[in-house]
Amino acid sequence: MITRYIIASVLLVLSTQRTAGAQDILVPMDDVQADHLKAYGVTFWALERKVDVDWLLNYRGGSFLMAAEPEIEAELRVRGVSYEVLGGARTASILSEVESDAANTSVVRLEKPPRIAVYAPEQTLPWDDAVLLALTYAEVPYEMIYDDEVLEGALDEYDWLHLHHEDFTGQFGKFFSYRATPWYIEQQRQAEMTARRHGFRKVSELKLAVVSTIKEYVGGGGFLFAMCSGTDTFDLALAAQQTDIVPSEYDGDPVDPDALSRLDFSQTFAFHEFRPVFNAREYEFSDIDSGPPPQPLRNPAVDYFTLFEFSAKYDQVPTMLTQNHVSTVKGFVGQTTNFRKHLIKPNVVILAEAPGRNEVRYLHGSYGEGTYTFYGGHDPEDYQHFVGEEPTDLSLHKHSPGYRLILNNILFPAAKKKKQKT
Amino acid sequence: MRPVALILLAALLLMGPEPLSAQNVDESQVGRFQLAESFLRAGQYERAIGMLEGLYEESPGTHVFYERLREAYENVKRYDAAIALVDRKMASETAPTSFLTEKARLLFLKGDEAGARLQWERAIATNPSSPSVYLLVYRSLLQLRLFDYAIEVLEQGRSVIDNDTLFQTDLAYLYNLTSQHGKAVEKYLELLALNQNQLSYVKSQLGAFLTSPEAVQEGIRVAQDGVATDPLNRSYRELLGWLLIEGDDYHEALEVYRGMDRLDREEGRTLFSFALIAADGDAHDVALEAFDEVLRRYPEGSSAPEAMRGLAMMQEKWAAALEETVYDLYGERGERNHWDEALETYQRFLIEYPQHPQFPDVLRRIGTLQQEVFLDLEAAETVLREVVARYPQTDAANQAAYDLGRLAVTQGRLDDARIQFSRLLTRLRTGDLADLARYELAQLHFYQGDFEAADSFTRAMQENTSTDVANDAIAMKVMLIESMGPDSLNTPLRRFARIQLLTRQRDYEAALHQLDDLMVEFGQHALADDMLMQRADLLARTGHIEDAILSYFQVPLLHPDSFHGASSLVQAAALQARSGLTTDAVRTYERVLTEYPGTLLTPRVREAIRVLRGDQT
Repeated sequence: MITRYIIASVLLVLSTQRTAGAQDILVPMDDVQADHLKAYGVTFWALERKVDVDWLLNYRGGSFLMAAEPEIEAELRVRGVSYEVLGGARTASILSEVESDAANTSVVRLEKPPRIAVYAPEQTLPWDDAVLLALTYAEVPYEMIYDDEVLEGALDEYDWLHLHHEDFTGQFGKFFSYRATPWYIEQQRQAEMTARRHGFRKVSELKLAVVSTIKEYVGGGGFLFAMCSGTDTFDLALAAQQTDIVPSEYDGDPVDPDALSRLDFSQTFAFHEFRPVFNAREYEFSDIDSGPPPQPLRNPAVDYFTLFEFSAKYDQVPTMLTQNHVSTVKGFVGQTTNFRKHLIKPNVVILAEAPGRNEVRYLHGSYGEGTYTFYGGHDPEDYQHFVGEEPTDLSLHKHSPGYRLILNNILFPAAKKKKQKT
Repeated sequence: MRPVALILLAALLLMGPEPLSAQNVDESQVGRFQLAESFLRAGQYERAIGMLEGLYEESPGTHVFYERLREAYENVKRYDAAIALVDRKMASETAPTSFLTEKARLLFLKGDEAGARLQWERAIATNPSSPSVYLLVYRSLLQLRLFDYAIEVLEQGRSVIDNDTLFQTDLAYLYNLTSQHGKAVEKYLELLALNQNQLSYVKSQLGAFLTSPEAVQEGIRVAQDGVATDPLNRSYRELLGWLLIEGDDYHEALEVYRGMDRLDREEGRTLFSFALIAADGDAHDVALEAFDEVLRRYPEGSSAPEAMRGLAMMQEKWAAALEETVYDLYGERGERNHWDEALETYQRFLIEYPQHPQFPDVLRRIGTLQQEVFLDLEAAETVLREVVARYPQTDAANQAAYDLGRLAVTQGRLDDARIQFSRLLTRLRTGDLADLARYELAQLHFYQGDFEAADSFTRAMQENTSTDVANDAIAMKVMLIESMGPDSLNTPLRRFARIQLLTRQRDYEAALHQLDDLMVEFGQHALADDMLMQRADLLARTGHIEDAILSYFQVPLLHPDSFHGASSLVQAAALQARSGLTTDAVRTYERVLTEYPGTLLTPRVREAIRVLRGDQT
């Protein structure tokens, strides 16, 4: 299934595609790299200029190889990205090493930059979005879309869709204690207006229509990446399509007393057998999220998660998604932090987990012709991001392994030869 | 337990809208009611409903049984049963309005919006001339977040009762909730028309909602109409002025405050308050205009002295923002500008308000201007000495003493300078001014070749890295460490220090001349790169831009390992950019990235390249 996304034939002939004697640029992604995050941006920039890039999986932290052009070199310098100029012989040697059976490495050709959409409201909300921060810092272009655009079919225009601190259950993020603040009032009002505009009486119905459309988009070959509460609420909304799991504090009428028995887990992507949280005042959507680590571990110094290592030659998709210069990534908390392992469907690939806690941080799966990736936590460089806090300045976290995982996701669709549509 | 339960029940009975006597409730009913409540809390709604239905049948007049049963039906979404219950209850009531709104709400939850609307209309029809009926329906609609309909109902009430003063704050709140900020402001204007003292309340209500520029603009538009309609209403104008400031439109706000000032014959007090707000908001040009107007119109007003001082300060800020200078690169006096105006205004202040508490401060400001901008050191000294002598123990005197020390350095009276700075340091010990004085003392030792003493001062200063001069102190320390020798008298460093003193004294030609000699004599000394940097700086100051650029380029060429390598190229690129040589500047900046990839200047260089390239990011 996974190999469907890989251009195996391209890999076999890669070495012959590079002209002997010509110079290449290697953007190393190991510890020598001066700015790991901007390296993704330059790679994207090169792809936009129709420069083919080879992603050397597991080679020096997942390095990038491209033809040496003066413009690329200048851009790398301006953006502060480390690079090495290689002679033809050195390139051939590296490619040979990467393709060797003895090493758990491989080459993926990146061909075209994906068109990126970020699902977010126009209204400024008092928290940051890690993906927006990453894309902005790495200078990767994207467009913002929201409910109207999704329901009007705009997803067809994009290869990659990102969801972040979103609540697809229609409970306005369960920010009950903020209900008197202007941003909450505005958020609720906008959502209710959009719902009415599209003929829905409740926001939960609107959001169900949105997730259903996104699900269709993934089924048709789209790439979905979600973080924080954008992950579990997505599946919650899908499971609750025949019932009402929203307390009266949010939609004016009570939860369906038979809600639990009416949940339909066959509709969800990644999770099953979960229980929604019906308490309007509890800042939690369901038991999918295991919450912040237990008190002794709720400390940025000791909280971490580990990335799984996959076969670079046979499991290239999970390998791409876990490219990093470290195997252990420091933890961070969000409204949804870690996923309880026993609530994850068996066909889902686990990419990273909190060791010894039966909690998964990062997972990947496929649906129809597309894929989804869920990443728990809010901001990889802000252990516990609070409402109203200043956004993280990524220029102070140029090597962030947690942010690298996000950016792996935007390049992964570039490896696909062409979009498969049903 | 039992008496407690009875007290509880009695309390519940009294909580109903039409409390009934508990005389019909027996102890068995109390027990069953408590059990039903327990079932409700445990989520066992059906069991609770069974018991509550029984209780209601037995005692239909007990309001709390009715309430709990209706809630229980709602909890399990049995809206038809709840509606039937309300119907039954309503049939036995003489005042059905609240039950009609209850029924309407349940119909809406059931999904029967048309039926709900009908019930709300019936509720209003029970007594259309009563404001409380409209409020009852409004609250029912608010529960369902039907804000637009709630607006419709309250507006209808005003129209039917023919009273435009009704529901003002409720309507304003609803209009804000629905982002109709203009209409919200309309309602608040109506409120202010009745009571101008409500302005603070109105501002606090609006402030919570006017979070976007569009919302503020909408509010401004309506407030402007209000002022046009009732120009004598002070609160309207104040609200408009406040909105304009919220929208950062200080120019328009000035007009409003000007009007208020004239209207109420305040002789500049309101205008002066506004000028201070504009100054705090960095709208220097507007603040300047406001201060100026206070002075022109009300020269005898109580705000006039502060306005005059404020005006001069704004003129100073304006001159600095426009990068104006009094003398050009060749020492020629330029045209009259904001610096001249500032000086004149301060001087007017001294003449007109000799007894004002700000007199010492204004005097000191004149001294500083004479020294730093007009380069009239004699005049500056006279004025600053007067401040120190006539107003001892004041902030102005301390600042003047510091300025006098600097002036003494410029005039070559280094011992006088040392006395000034030492006294100041003894007096202040801590604070920004004390740190500045300490650094000046370090520099004095440096100029005079007493490097050990200079080093001890810098060591003390670098401990406190929060001060502005800490970096300068560290830079001096590095130079002292690296540039000693080769002889025991440290001749090159001593001469270089002397050149720096000449530069500070603005004797650029002499500095350049001595520097050239030093470079010939000690071209291989560790200071060689510093000398080239100093030379480039002196050439730039004297208007030899091309030569300055070349001199900067020589630093990396002749001293590839120099600490100044990257900064010399950055300086050269900045001069190129200022001279309009954009392509050359980009190329020079790129050299920094190529040749000095590890420099701390890279973020600034990358930013400069992007600006010169016209990048959007």
